[in-house]
Amino acid sequence: MTTLAKSTLTGTDPTETGPTESPETGAAATTAEPVLAVRDVRIRSQVDDREIVKGVSFELTPGKVVGIVGESGSGKTLTCRAVLGILPPHFEVSAGTIHVAGEDVATLEPRQLTAMRGSTISAVFQDPASYLNPSIQVGPQIAEVIRVKKGAKRREARRRAVELLAAVHLRDPELVYTQYTYELSGGMLQRVLIAAAIAADPRVLIADEATTALDVTVQAEILDLLADLRDNAGLALVVVSHDLAVVAQLCDEVLVMREGEVVEQGPTEQVLYHPRHDYTRLLISEHEQYGLEKFLTREQS
Amino acid sequence: MVRRVLSLASGRLAVGILLAIALLAILGPLLAPQDPLATSDNSLTGPSAAHWLGTDYLGRDVFSRLLDGSRVSVVGALEVTLMALVVGAVPGILSVYLGRVFEWLTLRIADTLIALPFLLFAVAVTALLGNGITQAMLVTGVLVSPLFYRVSRAATLAVARSQYVEAALISGASLGWVIRRHVWAKVLPPIAVALAQTLGVGFIIVSSLSFLGIGVQPPEPTWGGLLASDLGYLDYRPSAPFVPALLIMATVWASNLLADAIRDVSGESGRALVNTRKAKANQLAAGGTA
Amino acid sequence: MRVLAIFGRSVAIFIPVFFVATFVTFALRALSGLSPARIQLGESATTEAIANIESQWGLDRPFLVQYWDWFTDVLHGQLGTSWVNGADISTLIGLGLGVSLSVAILALVLGTVLGFVLGTTAALRPGTLLDRAITGFVTVISVMPAFVVGIVLVEIFAVGLDLLPSGGYVPLEEGGVGLWLAHVILPALALSFDVVADVARQLRTGLVSAYRENYVVGALVRGLSPRRIFFRHVLRNGMGPALATLGIKFPSLVGAAVVTEWIFGLQGFGRFANDSAQAGDVPAVQGVLVVSVAMVVTFNLLINIVLGRVTPASQRGV
Repeated sequence: MTTLAKSTLTGTDPTETGPTESPETGAAATTAEPVLAVRDVRIRSQVDDREIVKGVSFELTPGKVVGIVGESGSGKTLTCRAVLGILPPHFEVSAGTIHVAGEDVATLEPRQLTAMRGSTISAVFQDPASYLNPSIQVGPQIAEVIRVKKGAKRREARRRAVELLAAVHLRDPELVYTQYTYELSGGMLQRVLIAAAIAADPRVLIADEATTALDVTVQAEILDLLADLRDNAGLALVVVSHDLAVVAQLCDEVLVMREGEVVEQGPTEQVLYHPRHDYTRLLISEHEQYGLEKFLTREQS
Repeated sequence: MVRRVLSLASGRLAVGILLAIALLAILGPLLAPQDPLATSDNSLTGPSAAHWLGTDYLGRDVFSRLLDGSRVSVVGALEVTLMALVVGAVPGILSVYLGRVFEWLTLRIADTLIALPFLLFAVAVTALLGNGITQAMLVTGVLVSPLFYRVSRAATLAVARSQYVEAALISGASLGWVIRRHVWAKVLPPIAVALAQTLGVGFIIVSSLSFLGIGVQPPEPTWGGLLASDLGYLDYRPSAPFVPALLIMATVWASNLLADAIRDVSGESGRALVNTRKAKANQLAAGGTA
Repeated sequence: MRVLAIFGRSVAIFIPVFFVATFVTFALRALSGLSPARIQLGESATTEAIANIESQWGLDRPFLVQYWDWFTDVLHGQLGTSWVNGADISTLIGLGLGVSLSVAILALVLGTVLGFVLGTTAALRPGTLLDRAITGFVTVISVMPAFVVGIVLVEIFAVGLDLLPSGGYVPLEEGGVGLWLAHVILPALALSFDVVADVARQLRTGLVSAYRENYVVGALVRGLSPRRIFFRHVLRNGMGPALATLGIKFPSLVGAAVVTEWIFGLQGFGRFANDSAQAGDVPAVQGVLVVSVAMVVTFNLLINIVLGRVTPASQRGV
């Protein structure tokens, strides 16, 4: 089951322009096997022996999107890092399991984790400039992933990196390829970061506050791009944000987190329109007060 | 700041060593059990009750020569440091306020001084301009002054451009108060660090020069000179260079330790020490090396 | 393109440096009040004889004219003639340069390699016993002046073990690599301690802080191996300070040659500078100083270009 799902996805070219290596075999979304299964994950800080994340569970199948909402410090980012196997020092998963494409992350050797990252699961973050090496042009950093993870030759990797840059809707991808992070804007950098993240055709992409620092129009473009990737490449997404609007646009299922606990979880429509927990209601009402209304009045004038 | 430096074990150790060396410099010549210049027939002997550190090739008492020579080294290092402070810090602070021409000129001069191999220059200048340890040290002080220039300039720039100073002035604080409260607090720690570092460099230079016999007249003992005379008789007394070398290294080490201690208590990490729990967490996060 | 820009900027910084340095160097004669006449005629010379000789050397002309003449000669590689024996100073320095460069370059290589090994080892295991041992060792060697290290090395390898010669020099083309190395390894080692300490310290700090940067997380998430992340991403960004330190350290490396050449009995330009200075041979001293400044400037130019290639982002606006 897993291997079948894998072959369907790796065969799907996210760039749409490059040659497909294996024949397409139906829509990926039909498989029921989750590509990511998080079960009652708890994360503990070893410094002061405190539990930071107190039981998070969700499943993600190809083509689906899970959203995690909560204020900063609610444990969203730590959960994502645990999934990627890159918890900061002195944090550990104290209970629960994480399965990526059927494999228990806790049982993997460091080498296997390295193999898994990038080609099965990848991530993009807030402040994209800092997640790219400032001393290397951005293009070669994408090509590097293709060479390492897909075993492509130098020129082939370069060609596909340029294609990826075009696929994330960057104008003049050849020029962007040779630019450094300090020569690009925030929106462009986030596109580059996404291109680098999907360069090895992962099945799950975690977008941790990926649109937070961007202005509203750019934010919308990036969300469109993510939706594109979900639809065309069958990518499963985990979208983490403190912003309900972002989650509402994209997600099938929403988790609302507060101080490490999941206070509400369910299909997006249900959570947004029939919130059961006070905290969720608070988030929604705040959003209506300060976010949407403001936005609407500006639209009208 | 002094109290906070002394609250660190390393700070206490550094100050302790430097004080001991200073005492040695002040009292050393008086403490010397024998005449440091008096020669005798039993040359190149090992340590004994009469000669704690043995005798040199002319039969002079090494221990007495060491004590007597400490003053030259300490005074020399102090001269280097004070010269560098005056020549570096004053233009460094003024370069922020005296206009672009002055700024450009002093920056270029600082660049140049850094590019000069200072031991070579110290040797050349001292030999050409007159053979005195004080001249040598003053020249060296000028050559190492860019450190003070940069440090004081950077600190002054940071203060001059900071908004809290502006805010304090707008809210009616007197200029004198602002300088005492903000400018001084910002400029003093980096200068103190530079002072301690330069003191260490000064000891190295003064002992290097006296090792070469530059700036001192032959019978007069110096730490470097002791080493130089030992070098010729290593075959007979291989242990002779041990004590003077150790003395030089301990002094330099104490100076560096003091610089680190000042940096520790005046920087961000120094403040975190007050909040011990947070500091511990930081330390753990940094892999136990703050 | 970028290399050219960096080169241009570096040259723009170093031209004034060279000007000021040569000016200071040249001013030494006027400041010292020394004259070739004193050396050639002794203390009891008549004022006429002195004036005669000074005008032979062109010393009666205005100061700036003398400076300009001397400076243009320097640019052509002409460093003038010695007051003591009338020999060509460029030739004299050239004789000693082989020794000095051998020692300096070997010291630089040794210092960089040892410093690199120590610094990276410590940085890859921060907080461990090994890290602390390395930090302690580096602290000890950083407070050892070159002449102390030199004496210790002579004690151990020449006097104690009798493995290596305690002094002298055999050029590469005369004695082969083995003999050449045997003569320069100890002085080079003595000089290198300072470099080792600085490179190790800066590299450790640079690497530890580079490892905390987000691009490391970014590279991890893209599935790059720890090895690759270290060599291609962390090292590249973390070695900036260490490289810059090499540039800053080079002048004192050149300067310390005076001491090591004295200990190991090498006839390099440090020894030449010392001897000429003691003899009051001003043009010779000036020549050595100019050559040393030129070496420093050239080396720093190289360092700037390498830095510009390795970390282009941090070089902007510097």
